[in-house]
Amino acid sequence: MSVDRRFVLKSMVLGGAAGVVLSRSLPVLGAPLSRSAIRPALALVGSGVAEAAFLQGARAAVGTQLQVLQMDPGLGFMLDFEQRLRAGRSLRVIGLLDDAAATLVLDLARSAGARIPWLGHHTGEAGSTRHRLLNTDLAEGCARQLSRHLHACGAGFTLDEERQGSAAPARQLAGPARNGAGSAQWAAGVGYLLATLGTRPTMMPRVSVQGTLPSGSFVSFSIEV
Amino acid sequence: MSEQMNGVLPRGVTQKKFNAAVEKFRALLGEGNVLLKAEQLIPYNKIMMSVENAAHAPSAVLTATTVEQVQGIVKICNQYRIPIWTISTGRNFGYGTAAPVQRGQVILDLKKMNRIIKIDPDMCTALVEPGVTFQQLYDYIEENKLPLMLSFSAPSAIAGPLGNTMDRGVGYTPYGEHFMMQCGMEVVLANGDIYRTGMGGVKGSNTWQIFKWGYGPTLDGMFTQANYGITTKMGFWLMPRPPVFKPFEVIFENEADIVEIVDILRPLRMAQIIPNSVVIANILWEAGSAHLRRRDYTTEPGHTPDPILEKMQKDSGMGAWNLYAALYGTQEQVDVNWKIITDAFRKHGKGRIVTQEEAGHKQPFKYRAELMSGVPNLQEFGLYNWRGGGGSMWFAPVSEARGSECEKQALLAKRILHKYGLDYVAEFIVAPRDMHHVIDVLYDRTSEEETKRADACFNELLDEFEKEGYAVYRVNTRFQERVARSYGPVKRYVEHAIKRALDPNNILAPGRSGIDLDAYATRRRAKGASSGES
Repeated sequence: MSVDRRFVLKSMVLGGAAGVVLSRSLPVLGAPLSRSAIRPALALVGSGVAEAAFLQGARAAVGTQLQVLQMDPGLGFMLDFEQRLRAGRSLRVIGLLDDAAATLVLDLARSAGARIPWLGHHTGEAGSTRHRLLNTDLAEGCARQLSRHLHACGAGFTLDEERQGSAAPARQLAGPARNGAGSAQWAAGVGYLLATLGTRPTMMPRVSVQGTLPSGSFVSFSIEV
Repeated sequence: MSEQMNGVLPRGVTQKKFNAAVEKFRALLGEGNVLLKAEQLIPYNKIMMSVENAAHAPSAVLTATTVEQVQGIVKICNQYRIPIWTISTGRNFGYGTAAPVQRGQVILDLKKMNRIIKIDPDMCTALVEPGVTFQQLYDYIEENKLPLMLSFSAPSAIAGPLGNTMDRGVGYTPYGEHFMMQCGMEVVLANGDIYRTGMGGVKGSNTWQIFKWGYGPTLDGMFTQANYGITTKMGFWLMPRPPVFKPFEVIFENEADIVEIVDILRPLRMAQIIPNSVVIANILWEAGSAHLRRRDYTTEPGHTPDPILEKMQKDSGMGAWNLYAALYGTQEQVDVNWKIITDAFRKHGKGRIVTQEEAGHKQPFKYRAELMSGVPNLQEFGLYNWRGGGGSMWFAPVSEARGSECEKQALLAKRILHKYGLDYVAEFIVAPRDMHHVIDVLYDRTSEEETKRADACFNELLDEFEKEGYAVYRVNTRFQERVARSYGPVKRYVEHAIKRALDPNNILAPGRSGIDLDAYATRRRAKGASSGES
């Protein structure tokens, strides 16, 4: 990506140059979230620390309307999941998976004619995280919301956002590490955003996440049939 | 109908023309088969290549259910000069996924044309549509208790025979060279005509899936890895299920053993003692397939150092090279060939032979045995977790089945990959005379820096291999134009002459394998239309 195509938020998150003040209590960007506006979802996740944080974030938004399905990369599971996508019933699946499982799930979703308004790749390593999003207008405001959340978490991050079908350049956001530690809060943030996707972004709560920043790569998604 | 405004349009097509074409597509296919919304297109834009998704973003997706609809689509495309990129199941992964070669092309997804038209258990033949998957075929064979066996590539269950064969993919059984087992195609040409290859043009013929060559020029190969038509049916041969199947592995401890492995193997393959497409996988291909992850061994950036690979070997029992093969036939045939094989390897004193009984359910042996016996699985997707980050590009040079050549290629690839801080994750797929040297260039797409590095690495692999007289047999869409140059100007001239004759409006997948009338003309003009073209 060329430098001249960048929209860098560094100045915003570092110094509030754009008039945004960041603090531990994150700002409200929209109207308070009404749970009635949020559609029920099925969460498809693996079994790691990041996935647990993702679920915590999603539950903070959806509460009991969230069903959870534990990922199994075997053929039988995948074929069952495909059947579920093809059953002709309205279904919203959000998830955080490893690359291998996500590759399969997303490909099966394509074949089933599903819509995918959000596709994110996330990597955590050495106290920082990288995020690459491909999304739609439905996710308007989410990248900014996530970047604020990441900044509040204290780990350094980069976040690239491509808007599908847009002639506009990709957006790049970044923030420095502030406390050197970091945690799986980023995954909680992604879980919250995906659970509330399509509603007006609102204050993203911090959830209690155990342990340090999990290293590794993950894929987040929202699938709708 | 509201006016559509797209951020992505096909090359040289105005919004007005695009909208007019969309209206025609809707009238032909119905609203639900013309996909334009961003959330409908994202599933087709998940790429694994070293470039932004936007470079391969489609402007629309069409789904067809009949040959007549495909004919109607090419008619509309000709009228409005709309380029279409056809996929069957779109499971090309490291060779380019479902996304089009050029930004803005309209994807024609044939997933809904998924009828198994005929399976003849006596003649061991099949005729299928593009959307048929190997899992579908496997289920059909099992449900009907047919004594037949499939051959498929590693994505097996979710991929399909037509797409894999048209891309000249390979499998792991004695029928593993899939194009060789293809017999009879139905192709919709750019002008809407339906062309059947081989015996397919003969009225009332019952030998379309029996005899490949027909009469006069045999043109089937011309439609593979090409953009001269849209294949809507394909016939192929199925292997009779043998009474005895005996898979085995031979584990080699040292990287340098590749020379002897291949030289021992070649005569066994040529004489059909070992009849199937043998695989020789290196330690990292094995590790990924066994769902090991790099970060469990090291979190240091760059390539994985040799001492760590040696530790992995020691811990896991995997070899530096791991050969997988199988015997098929009656017990008597298998016994005779087994003795020849074990004698050959024991004579050299290298290689630890592992049988199915010894391996049990251990991976990767289990999934390799399944692939060699036509049982689908998804085990090899574990490779995508080795490094993580969603980047995968298969670099697949062809090699002689000669030990010294394989070693030369392996060392060259490893040197270049390590220079760019990436791992040599490789397997050789062994035919009697050639090897497909498949290297999965795995990298982290969330890192802009690493993505650029992977891109530079892939270019250098292509350049350096070409200097040694090597070229790839297949490549992802980002590098198809580059690879076409390796094969010389005369081939390109012929390919474009055929394209002009069959598809003068350049509507079928321009850019596929570097065949694109507009780009070719532009380059020719730039070069002053001299005799050569690169």
